Amino acid sequence: MTTVTFKINGKAASFSGDGDMPLLWHLREDAGLKGTKFGCGIGQCGACTVHINGEAARSCSVPMAALDGTSITTIEGLADGERLHAVQEAWIKEDVAQCGYCQAGQIMAAAAFLKDNPNPTDDDIDSGIDNLCRCGSYYRIRKAIKLAAQNLAGA
Amino acid sequence: MTNHVSRRSFLKSAAGTTALVLSISSTPSVLATDTDNSGNVTPCLRFTEDGQIFVCVPIPDMGQGMITTAAQIIAEELDLDPNQTSIEMMAFQGHADAEGRASEGPMPQGAGGSLSTMMVWGPLRHTAAYARDLFLHAAAIRWSVPLNHLETRNGAVYNKNTKVSLPYKYLVSDTRRADYTVLRGNTTPKAAKDRTLIGRDQRNVHALAIATGQPIFGIDSDIPDMKHAVIRRCPHLNGSLVSYDRDALLALPGVKHVIEIARRPDDLSRPRILPAGLAIIADSFWQAKKAADMAEIEWDGSRAAGESSAALKARMAEHLETGEVADSKEGGDLAKAMAEADKVIEATYYHPHWAHACMEPHNCIADVKADSAEIWTSHQSITESINAAAAATDLPISKITSNVMRCGTGLGRKYAPDFVMEACILSKAIGAPVKVTWTREDEMEQDHVNPSAMYRMRAAVDAKGRLTGWHVRTAADGWIRNAAMEPPMGLVDNYRGEWGYIENNVRRGPWRGPQHNTAAWVIQGFLNEVAIAAGKDPLDFLLDLYSRKDFQKLDTWPFPLLEYERFRKILKAVAKDARYGRRMPDGWGQGIAIYHTFSGTCAHVVEIEMIGDTDYRVHKVTSAIDCGLAVNPLGVRAQVEGGINDGLSAAKYGNFRFEDGVPVTNNFDSYQMMRIGEAPPEINVRIMDFGDEDPRGTGEVALPPLIPALTNAIFAASGKRVRTLPISENL
Ligand code: FES
Ligand code: FES
Repeated sequence: MTTVTFKINGKAASFSGDGDMPLLWHLREDAGLKGTKFGCGIGQCGACTVHINGEAARSCSVPMAALDGTSITTIEGLADGERLHAVQEAWIKEDVAQCGYCQAGQIMAAAAFLKDNPNPTDDDIDSGIDNLCRCGSYYRIRKAIKLAAQNLAGA
Repeated sequence: MTNHVSRRSFLKSAAGTTALVLSISSTPSVLATDTDNSGNVTPCLRFTEDGQIFVCVPIPDMGQGMITTAAQIIAEELDLDPNQTSIEMMAFQGHADAEGRASEGPMPQGAGGSLSTMMVWGPLRHTAAYARDLFLHAAAIRWSVPLNHLETRNGAVYNKNTKVSLPYKYLVSDTRRADYTVLRGNTTPKAAKDRTLIGRDQRNVHALAIATGQPIFGIDSDIPDMKHAVIRRCPHLNGSLVSYDRDALLALPGVKHVIEIARRPDDLSRPRILPAGLAIIADSFWQAKKAADMAEIEWDGSRAAGESSAALKARMAEHLETGEVADSKEGGDLAKAMAEADKVIEATYYHPHWAHACMEPHNCIADVKADSAEIWTSHQSITESINAAAAATDLPISKITSNVMRCGTGLGRKYAPDFVMEACILSKAIGAPVKVTWTREDEMEQDHVNPSAMYRMRAAVDAKGRLTGWHVRTAADGWIRNAAMEPPMGLVDNYRGEWGYIENNVRRGPWRGPQHNTAAWVIQGFLNEVAIAAGKDPLDFLLDLYSRKDFQKLDTWPFPLLEYERFRKILKAVAKDARYGRRMPDGWGQGIAIYHTFSGTCAHVVEIEMIGDTDYRVHKVTSAIDCGLAVNPLGVRAQVEGGINDGLSAAKYGNFRFEDGVPVTNNFDSYQMMRIGEAPPEINVRIMDFGDEDPRGTGEVALPPLIPALTNAIFAASGKRVRTLPISENL
């Protein structure tokens, strides 16, 4: 039995239970936050991407035991109240989503990526983003990342 | 299909307000009476007095854009903003056939064959036009003005004389008085010239829900008191459960039940519908998963023992030499054409199996009671999901309710019944709701993969470099006959196509663009070889071929009538847009290809640069698609972009492998797929306008010609001809 306390989307939270359980399942089943998606369970696809202490992390591969004292942001907490994050806005503007299943993870990955790469080149994107999109929306993801970068720079 | 016109009924809410409910219409004709007081109207449209307008989408959305297209079509006729509508999925509106199976009602309720938009196009327009006319007539009665003084604007009826407008919500009750006989014959959808939404870019109506993580997918569903099941399925391609330690599993944390699932059918010689499995049912997914991972299970996999991808490939090579021909097609005198040819070109092509890798792992919640059942799932077909539940529960289909949610891709695999059956079997067994969630490993190991095949290609060209003979011999482990049955046969007079079938224990099934996804590569890849061997430019060679006839009716499903004037225009358009044939730097190359898939046609020019001798970078893809009327050009372009990337991924990496009867590619580490780093940064899509009044297929049309355009580009850049996929292992 493991007990940890942390924050999810700014709110204090705690967990007592199997410390091996990946954060993904805590979010989806205990916290009722279904936006974070299960895709592979082995850290390969990025569908489960969240931010832990501001950095992108694949929640299927982070056990609950490792989370004490952390601050977690999920897709549900990315917007500032009613105001969407620039990456979410760019995603809507560029009409990125096809089925949409991978896109919460893509958006979370892009939001973290842009913090380190405020003005990304194609090469930066190629090496910095590797989330899988089975619908092949990559062309629009690239456009949306660039649009978000522009909007963030202008903000 | 029997004529089915829209019916209306009126529902009273608890608050005493009325809702107008309309069923779907599949024809513009009318019935003597259109009011149904039985309460049996399956809604297609629902208008409430508080101003909500519900669009019930008849066909699931798995990324092809059905929900957005449905909202767009409805909004056009009713002069609404599509984003003002609320989306629901339409309930099943078919009926039981003689055997008691669910069969389609006024229109199919499954996504497949790139048919979704074509199917809903007429019925949704007619239904919405009928709704609009009811509102117009209701307003005409209320205001005592002739109908022709009225029109609809911005979700309201507008009086052109008085300039007064009345939103639909204030007319919901009045539509009781609207007299359908007055409208008889007048209810027609808008003329093309009056449209303001159809033919224009429409963003995904779920975009905000997706970007903010709303729970709209099947896997996001929860119902009270449900248990979670993780199933260990027979890892062998074909086999059964022998033994396991039930008590040890029941002792693990959270585990409530351990239930055996028998293979269906139990005759192992028939393809599996449901794999043998052992279900661990627990309070949470994680508890069930952890216990399932710990289970020690003995399986009997002897039936498929020794089968491997490599051995199957060897069988195909042998079959090409000596195997039986199961189906063939012949015309002219091939032997003579070969004997008289200036050149005979021969090559052997091969592609392995591809996995679907549906982004959303399969899932289903079932709540099975003694006399009824309800399911929540991501399934490509509302109808087939009901059949799956009926097969698993033995309940009549009228007692089954299916809630089909947004699907995180389907790609052909989410048409199958297995995951729905599992949930129903387990819920029935424990008498409580059960959610079955597949892991990625389950999804790949139990996939119904794209068939594998080997092809012996032979072509004759005359001294002028024209194609005069065509011979394809196929050894395939699926019903993939198109490569051996389609043009250039018929465009050349002398041809033979032979298809041989190889049985094995791999479960095969439809994969985006079934048959065409590989036939296009084999045919357009080999035509490119032949053109070059004949000393011709590949584009000129294709244009010559498609100039030989104006039309050709194919005898392969869905029996399209190919219009070669369109082929020529598409090829010329894509060549012009791509500046095809311009000088490229050393190590760069362009490849061109065209193919018809279902009722649509697409051509691409792919531009690549070699990276060393064995890798390449795709810099740009230029495309032209004929999809008939493009209802949502933004959505059409998304499907082309997606088809391009899916094709690039499958061609380079797609390789589902099995050894000694067991799949060994079972997650994204062992089954590689393309990421953004290899995706083309530039894609230009032209949507051809041939003046069509109706849409044709789109979703599966772009992928097939992409693969030959890519391998043709690799040849142009490197002189290496890719005849064996995946490219990553064969360059
Ligand atoms: S589910 Fe976590 S990376 Fe795929
Ligand atoms: S949008 Fe469907 S998987 Fe990315």
